Amino acid sequence: MNDRTMNTHPVFAVVGHPNKGKSSVVATLSQNDAIAIALEPGTTRKHQAYPLRVDEQTLYTLVDTPGFQRPRRVLEWLEAHSLSASDRAETVAAFVVQHRDDPRFVDECELLAPIIEGAGIIYVVDGSVPYSSEHEAEMTILRWSGRPSLALINTIGPDDYSDTWQAALGQFFQVVRKFDALRAHFEQHLSLLRTFGQLEPGWEVPLEQAVHFLSEQRSQRKRDSAALIARALEEMMAFQEKRTLSAAESDTDDKRLTGQLRVRWYDHQRQREMRLRLAIEKLYQHNRLQRQEPELAWHGEHDLFSENSRKTWGVSKRYLATAGFGAGAIGGAGIDALTLGHSFGAAALLGGIIGAAGSVYYADRLSLPVLVSGVLKNGLRTVTFGPVQDSQFGYIVLGRAVDHWWHICHRNHAGRDLLELEPADTHWLEQLERKQRQHLQFVLDRCRKQKSLDERARQQLTDTIEHVMSAYDDWRLNRAAAGN
Amino acid sequence: MSDIRLLLDFDDQVHRDHNQSPAFLHRRDRRFALDCQEKGITPGPQQWLDHLNRLSQQQETPHIRLRRWRALTGGFAAAGALFGIFTMLGLLFYEGGQRINLTVILLFVVLQLLLALLTTVQSLVGWQPWRWLLHNLSNERGATALQQLQPQLMARAAHTGGLCFGLTGLLTLLVLVVVQDLAFGWSTTLDTGATSYHRLLQFLAWPWHSLWPAAVPELSLVESTRFFRSGETAAGEDPALWGQWWPFVAMAWLFYVIVPRLGLLLLAVIHLRYRAQALLKNHPGLLALHYRMETPAVDTGSRHHDAADQPDLSTSSALQPLPPSRTLIRWAGAGEPALPESLAHDKDLNLAAGGRASLEEDRQTIEAAQQQLAREKTPVVLLVTRGWEPPTGELADFLEQAQQRWPAGTRVVLVPLAADPQATPAEHQIDQWLRFAERVGRDRLQVSLVPGHDAGEMHDE
Repeated sequence: MNDRTMNTHPVFAVVGHPNKGKSSVVATLSQNDAIAIALEPGTTRKHQAYPLRVDEQTLYTLVDTPGFQRPRRVLEWLEAHSLSASDRAETVAAFVVQHRDDPRFVDECELLAPIIEGAGIIYVVDGSVPYSSEHEAEMTILRWSGRPSLALINTIGPDDYSDTWQAALGQFFQVVRKFDALRAHFEQHLSLLRTFGQLEPGWEVPLEQAVHFLSEQRSQRKRDSAALIARALEEMMAFQEKRTLSAAESDTDDKRLTGQLRVRWYDHQRQREMRLRLAIEKLYQHNRLQRQEPELAWHGEHDLFSENSRKTWGVSKRYLATAGFGAGAIGGAGIDALTLGHSFGAAALLGGIIGAAGSVYYADRLSLPVLVSGVLKNGLRTVTFGPVQDSQFGYIVLGRAVDHWWHICHRNHAGRDLLELEPADTHWLEQLERKQRQHLQFVLDRCRKQKSLDERARQQLTDTIEHVMSAYDDWRLNRAAAGN
Repeated sequence: MSDIRLLLDFDDQVHRDHNQSPAFLHRRDRRFALDCQEKGITPGPQQWLDHLNRLSQQQETPHIRLRRWRALTGGFAAAGALFGIFTMLGLLFYEGGQRINLTVILLFVVLQLLLALLTTVQSLVGWQPWRWLLHNLSNERGATALQQLQPQLMARAAHTGGLCFGLTGLLTLLVLVVVQDLAFGWSTTLDTGATSYHRLLQFLAWPWHSLWPAAVPELSLVESTRFFRSGETAAGEDPALWGQWWPFVAMAWLFYVIVPRLGLLLLAVIHLRYRAQALLKNHPGLLALHYRMETPAVDTGSRHHDAADQPDLSTSSALQPLPPSRTLIRWAGAGEPALPESLAHDKDLNLAAGGRASLEEDRQTIEAAQQQLAREKTPVVLLVTRGWEPPTGELADFLEQAQQRWPAGTRVVLVPLAADPQATPAEHQIDQWLRFAERVGRDRLQVSLVPGHDAGEMHDE
């Protein structure tokens, strides 16, 4: 049953010459990284629908199609079977009916089928290679179909011939837009969808709704990411490696024991960080990412515990002193409240000074946990390693997590290259408001002391991390603008 | 299900959900909300939990942590009951010599009242001086909703114990009244006359003065039952008078120990429920649940997976050296605007096909080439293509037609060019031509590059 007669949602057939990035455009717009994209003509053999559904109601469908293989033959057939311009659309439909079982025209039938059923046309070309007039036959066929159409100049390679393409495409299509399926920002995705909606009057409303829901979904994903990061941060700051030693093992050398526990503690933290990354990737529907950082090369410069990570993501002495002062003051203010103000804020001041001093002490080193040995009880002795001693570790975890989130949320689903997390140069947390910095420091200290957070405190931490993510996004944006 | 139970179950479910992916949670809860809308039900935490439990086939089991509190409350009740008996036995200890001092009993009653009030105040302000004890006894770590209810739960346990204490105390009193002769009197060092003492007692007995007038002591009874530990007893000397105090003692115990405890226990229970409701209402998990239920689930079109279905990109063919040829065909505008010099020179025929040319022009090109090739001993045709464009079905058709027309043994050489005439096509672009040649599967079809380009080395192993 055809969609137009059912008067349902708009359908867009993404068509073009083989190997011009049709699947990339579909992958990016449908946020699906499991679409086969290969630099090989004829990767797509059947048309495949990718509907955008909201509560099972479809707002629009993108249809990925195979590329034209024999456009001149098709055009020859069409011209031979048409009497006037008015019968062209019917002639195209007749071609599909006639050649449905012809193996030579299987690709053409696959790509024309959704169009004769009422789909709008999204014609994709590669703007990085020179314009070629051999595309004219296929553009003519599409024009014959009489459907609303739009041409997309997708740039796959480094060169740019989009101006000549634009001039040529303008003669065949209502609208011509540039869209880099690999690098286009989310706002550009939405803008493109709005343009799709303008191709036919009835399509504007569903496409506007789709844009609205996609924007909402993106905001929600950011909130969910903040919650995931908050949870990982809380667990990693408070993690303690425990081991119970029997009487026979009690004599083990402390140095050796520390070494063993440290390895386990490190591994656990790294695994937790990896779990967080996978969760965020899944949230943004990146299920098949290949990463630059090999998971097992822990001691490389990408490692959580490397000096490189500390330098990149750790915060400065000045930052720690101000945030530490604020966090100490928050704790001290609690004492003032208990004394009903009789300590006249002295506790807040003292707490602030202690907080600042402690923070500065830890600023230029990453102070790792030490071995704590329990007393011998019933012939057993418990030794513990962790939690981490200073909050600098929290900033490193947070920085790495937010950086990873940023790369994932700005990565398009057409991307098949490795995920590379290049380090930042200056410090981005300086952009955060003072109150949020202090709250962050307060929470990190609290987790480090293994004081549990209740749901409300957790929620506050999530809110703060969401601010952190926004600050990082702004900082990246400004840096990119400055770089240009 | 009680409010506390609901809160705890909800809190537990929120904790369990922390390990689930947010996308899954959204789908699950949105689906539930839509089902409820269809059935005309307003979804709340209770319905939500029922729904989840039904699907997981979880049986309703008593909450283990609540069981612990129930046991603690039971312990308080048992201890209170025992203390009640022993305390009353102690207070009414009478060996026949001295009187049972009413003032001591009254002070004890006031103390009980104060303790009860203190427990309530403590629970209202949330002060938990005994928290360390619970912390040590319980093996539970991490903040849970139950911990936020501890002051109220503790108040409920303490008041239950206090109530049992009062009840067994009263029973003990009544039993002793029946089985023993109790000699009450009143005594104080203070310079208080019987009149003022009587006024105090009347004030205390006000709550039951109309209920049981006999339990309100008269002035004559007060005057006649004062005693001093040294010296003679008060006037009257009628031992029956000493026993007349018991209704007052029983009613004072009832009204100042049992009734306040009962009232405060009810208050604690109500406060506990109110607090549980408030905690649930403000639970961040509930806020998140509402958001998930109200926000539509968006599926962007990521259900279809075919990434594993990648084409075979391997090829066993390799580039061949460019053989000499006198015939050259430019396919689909390749070599425009100018052919590389090494290709253009020494050609008898330089033809075009594909691209903008019509199919008829293609046929003419094949015809023209056929005439040239027929004259050659080892016929070779160079078919120059745009290396970056993928080989299409039209080229395969062209080759098929040409093979039918051209002399047997004609070697066709595909020569892909790069967009920049001075450069070599990229490796993946050359590969697609090698694979095309392999796919077309004709003998005497090969791929070569323009001489002078180093790419030959890449493929010549």
